[in-house]
Amino acid sequence: MLRVPLFLFCVFFAVGLQAVEVAESLVRIEATSQEPNYKAPWSPGEVSAGVGAGFIVQGDRILTNAHVVSNASFLTVNKEGDPKPYAAKVLYVAHDCDLALLSVDRAEFFNGTTALELGDIPAIESMVSVYGYPIGGKRLSVTRGIVSRIDFQTYSHSGMDSHLTIQIDAAINPGNSGGPVMQKGKVVGVAFQGYSGDVAQNVGYMIPTPVVKRFFKDVEDGKYDRYVDLSLTFDNLFNPAARKALGLPADDVGVQVGTVYGGGPSDGIIRAGDVLMGIDGLRIASDGTIKLDGESVPLTEVVERKFKGESATLDILREGSSLQVKIPLSDPWPFALQSKAYDEKPQFVVFGGLVFQPVDKNFMDAYQPGNLRLDYLFDFFVEDGIYRDRPQLVVLSNILADAVNAYAKDFLFAVVDEINGQKIHRISDVASAFAKSSNYYVIQMLGIGRPLVLERKAVEEARSRILQRYGVTSEQYLKK
Amino acid sequence: MIRQFVFLLLLTPLLAIAEPKSPINHPYAAAEPSPSPVEKTESPDQESRKVAESSILRVNSTNQAYDFFQPWLKKNPVSRRGVGALVQGGCVLVTAELVMNSNFVELEKATTAEKSSATVERVDYDCNLALLRPNDPGFLEGMKPLTLEKSLRVGNEATVLQLEPNGEIAQTIGQITTISVGSYPLENLGLLLYKLRVPLQQRDGSFTLPAVSDGRLVGLLMRFDARSQSAELISTPVIRHFLDSPAKARFPRMGIAFSALRDPQFRRFIGLTEPGGVYVNEVSPHGSAAEAGIKKGDVILALDGRAIDQDGNYEDPNFGRVLFTHLTHTVAQVGSELTFTIFRKGKLIKVPARLRAPDLSHVVSDAQLADQPPDYVVLGGFVFLELSRPYLQEWGNDWVNDAPKRLVYYDAFQNELPEDRGKIVILAQVLPVPETLGYESIRNLVVTQVNGRPVRSLVDLSEAAKKPLKGFHKIEFEEDPKTVFLDAASVEANQKALIERYSLPSLQRLKGKKSP
Repeated sequence: MLRVPLFLFCVFFAVGLQAVEVAESLVRIEATSQEPNYKAPWSPGEVSAGVGAGFIVQGDRILTNAHVVSNASFLTVNKEGDPKPYAAKVLYVAHDCDLALLSVDRAEFFNGTTALELGDIPAIESMVSVYGYPIGGKRLSVTRGIVSRIDFQTYSHSGMDSHLTIQIDAAINPGNSGGPVMQKGKVVGVAFQGYSGDVAQNVGYMIPTPVVKRFFKDVEDGKYDRYVDLSLTFDNLFNPAARKALGLPADDVGVQVGTVYGGGPSDGIIRAGDVLMGIDGLRIASDGTIKLDGESVPLTEVVERKFKGESATLDILREGSSLQVKIPLSDPWPFALQSKAYDEKPQFVVFGGLVFQPVDKNFMDAYQPGNLRLDYLFDFFVEDGIYRDRPQLVVLSNILADAVNAYAKDFLFAVVDEINGQKIHRISDVASAFAKSSNYYVIQMLGIGRPLVLERKAVEEARSRILQRYGVTSEQYLKK
Repeated sequence: MIRQFVFLLLLTPLLAIAEPKSPINHPYAAAEPSPSPVEKTESPDQESRKVAESSILRVNSTNQAYDFFQPWLKKNPVSRRGVGALVQGGCVLVTAELVMNSNFVELEKATTAEKSSATVERVDYDCNLALLRPNDPGFLEGMKPLTLEKSLRVGNEATVLQLEPNGEIAQTIGQITTISVGSYPLENLGLLLYKLRVPLQQRDGSFTLPAVSDGRLVGLLMRFDARSQSAELISTPVIRHFLDSPAKARFPRMGIAFSALRDPQFRRFIGLTEPGGVYVNEVSPHGSAAEAGIKKGDVILALDGRAIDQDGNYEDPNFGRVLFTHLTHTVAQVGSELTFTIFRKGKLIKVPARLRAPDLSHVVSDAQLADQPPDYVVLGGFVFLELSRPYLQEWGNDWVNDAPKRLVYYDAFQNELPEDRGKIVILAQVLPVPETLGYESIRNLVVTQVNGRPVRSLVDLSEAAKKPLKGFHKIEFEEDPKTVFLDAASVEANQKALIERYSLPSLQRLKGKKSP
C-alpha cells in the first residue's frame, strides 16, 4: 500500500524536473491551412485549422513536422505557458522526411527559451519521454515509453519515402506531431506518426536524429534538395545455384540488380543482372545489408546520408569481372509523381467545360477514378518506363455539363494522347493545342478508337456560360 | 497456393484538427420510395400446370472445379439443383452454369420423383446453355417437349416454374420489363436477354428455371436479384440458335467495337448527313469484319437493308428495337452472309461479310476453362501456369482489385498485345525445396525466357527445361527478380522427393495430359 504512492511520486518527480526544462523549449503550433481541391482545381480550397507541437533548436528556429505546416496559409506559435501567439513562417520544409523549420518574425519570442540539443539513436528498451499537445489541448502533455524497435518505415506524409524510424510504446496521439522525444535531456527523436487505435496499440513512431541532422545539413546552403536515391532494385543472392551460375563464391556477399530505372542516377552505369558487392568500401551481404556503426542496415542507408551532388562508389561484378563505378547522386525523379504533394496548386486546363488535369498521387486520391487503364498507367508509370514518352499523364478529369460536351461522358478519365494531331506529353501541351485556332478540336484518347470532337463555334458560345454557371474563376493553371 | 495476407495498416499523421468539420449526419435519411406492389397473386394457370407436369424436370448436378492455385487438385464438390425444360430431340435444356465442371448429373420427375442419371450432351459457354440426355432411354416416355415462343414484347407476362420439395409446382407470374442485348456470364458475349420482374422465392439453390407462357417456353432464367426482384432470362432466339447449330459450334462474332453516334458535333466532323449509324472504333485482326474489309472509322448505317439508328438499334418484327448485333450473333449462323451499308470517307458502300466463329488461336488469357483440368508445369518447386481469367478469379469476387495488378492488366488489355505474344506463362508460386532456397517468397511473375529460349506457352517452357545451360536452369521474368537459377542436376535428382513432399500426382500436365 505504501509503495504505490511512493513509486508514483518518484515518476512524477523525475518527469517534473525534465518537463520544466523542456517546457522552455516547447512550442504549440496552430496552423490555418488551405488544402487544394483537386476536384475543383480553380478553387483555393477549404480552410481548416490544426494543432501540432514543435521545439526550439539552435539559431532561433523551431523544428516541427512537415505535415503540421503543409498547405498552411497562416501559422501562429505559442510558448508553453505564454498565452501570446506569435506569427511564424516556414523557412524550410522537407516533405520526403516530414520535417520543417520555422522562424518567428519577432525576435523577442525567443527570450527566455532554450534551444534543445540533438542526441544519438537511443538504445532499445531505454526509456523516453514524449512532449506535445495530444488531441489539441492548450497545455503541455508528457507520456513515457521505451524504445521498441529501430527499423526502416514508410513516412506516411509523402507515402513514398521510407527512412530510419524508431518505434516507441509511449502514447502518441494527434497533436503530438512535431513534439520532441527526450532522453537524458537531449532530443532523440521527433514524434510524427502512429496507428489508429483499431489497428495497433502502443505503437508510435518518431523520426530519429540521423534524419533530423541530415535535414539540418541539407538546408545549410539555403535550400532543401531532397533525398537522393540510386533508383534501382536488387534481390538477395542466397541461392547456391544462382551464386554458382554467377561465378560467386559461397560467402554470402553480393545482391543482384533487378531493375535500373531510366532517368535515375544509375541509368547507363549499372545494368540489370550486375551483382553489387560493396558500397563505399562496405561489404554488401547477400540480403542487401551492410554493417554501419555496428548495426546491420539496408545498403540504401549509405545513400540516405548523402546529399545531392555527392556520389556513391559501388563495387560490382559484371559477367565475371570486377568493376568499380561511381554514381553521381541526383533527384529521384520520376518517383515524385507517386508521392503526395503539398504546398502546390493543382495544374489544370478547362476547355468547353472539359477539365483536363495531370495525374499524380493527389489526383488519384481525390478522384479514385477506378479506371483500369488509368490505374495501369499510374501504377506502372516508373516500372514500365511510361514517363519516358509522357512525363505527365493528362486525363479528362471532369465534365462541367453543358450542351457543348453532352456526349463526352464516355471519355471520362481517359488519358489524352493527341489534340489536333499534336502529341500531349504534359498539361501545358493541352493548353497550347487549344490555344491554336481550329474549326474542330479533335481529342484522341489512349485506347479509345473514336476521338472526342468539339466545334470551335460551340466552345466559344459556351465559354462564359460555363465559367459563370460553375463558378470557374480561371481557365487554366500550369505552373509547377 | 500460400496466399499472402497483407494487412494494410493505416498510418495517420498526428495532426489534431482543432475544429472538427465533419457535419453531423442528418438524422432523417430520405425515405426510399418503395416500389408499388405489382406482385401478382399466384393464380392457377391450367396451361402452365400441364406444361409443368409433362415438360419440366428437376436437375441435380454435383460439380467439382479445379483449384487454380493448386492445379493438380480439385476443389470441394458442390451440389446444384435447378429445373430443366424438355426440348425437341429428347434432351433437357439447362444453363451451362448448372452443370459446369459436373461429375454427376441426375434428372428427377416432378411428381413421381423417378430418377435417371444423365450425360451432358452439349454445352455452350457463349450462351450459357447445355443439353442433358437421360442415360435411361425410356425415362422421358410420355413427356412432351416444349415449343419456343417466337415473339415477345415488353409488358408481356411469363410464368416461372419452380418445384416444391414435395413435387408441387410453384408458378410465379412476372412481367417482361426489358428486351435488349446484354452480357451473358462466362464469356461476356452480348446476346439477346430478357429481364423479368418477378417475386420469386429461393427454392432450389439455383435459378436455372424455365419461364413459360401459353404452354410455350419463353426463356430460361439464369440470374435473379432478390432485392430488385429482377430475373435475367436466356431468350428464345438464343436458345433457337443453340439448338439449331451443330455441336461445338461457337456463336458467330463480328470482331468490332463500335459506339453510338449521338453527338451532332462528331457527326458534322465526319461529314455524316445520313440519319442513324454507329461508328466502328476497333476492328480485331482475325474477325469477320476484318475479313470483309470493314475498317476503323466506318459508319454502319444498315444491315441487310434494315436501318440502324444512332444507338445501333434496328426495328425487329418480334422484339421491337434491338441492338443490331442480335442479327449478327444470334439470328445468323456461322457461315451466313450479311450485307452492311457503310459510310466511309463521304461515300456510301455495300460490304458483304461472311460470319466467322471466334478465332481462339490468338487468345492470350482464356475467359473460362470449364470442364478441363488446367495445365501446369512444376520445375524444382516452381509452379508454372498460363494466365487465365479463372486463375485471377481465384482471388474472389473483387479479383480486379485483389489479384496481382500486372496480371489483371494483361488480362484486361490482352487485345492490345503484339499478335505473336502467345500465352502468358507465370511462375504462380514456389513449393519450397532445397533447390529454391532464397526464392520462397516470389510468386505471380511473368516468365520471358527459360534457358535462353523465349516462352510463349507452357509447352515452350517444358521444352526449354529439357536443355539447361551449363548445368543450370536459367529462368527470366519481366519483374524482379529478373533472373533466377536452379541447379539442373539437383532438380533432376530430387524430382521424386518433390512429388512425395507435396503429394503431387505428376510434375506436369500439358493439354490436359499428365506426364511424369
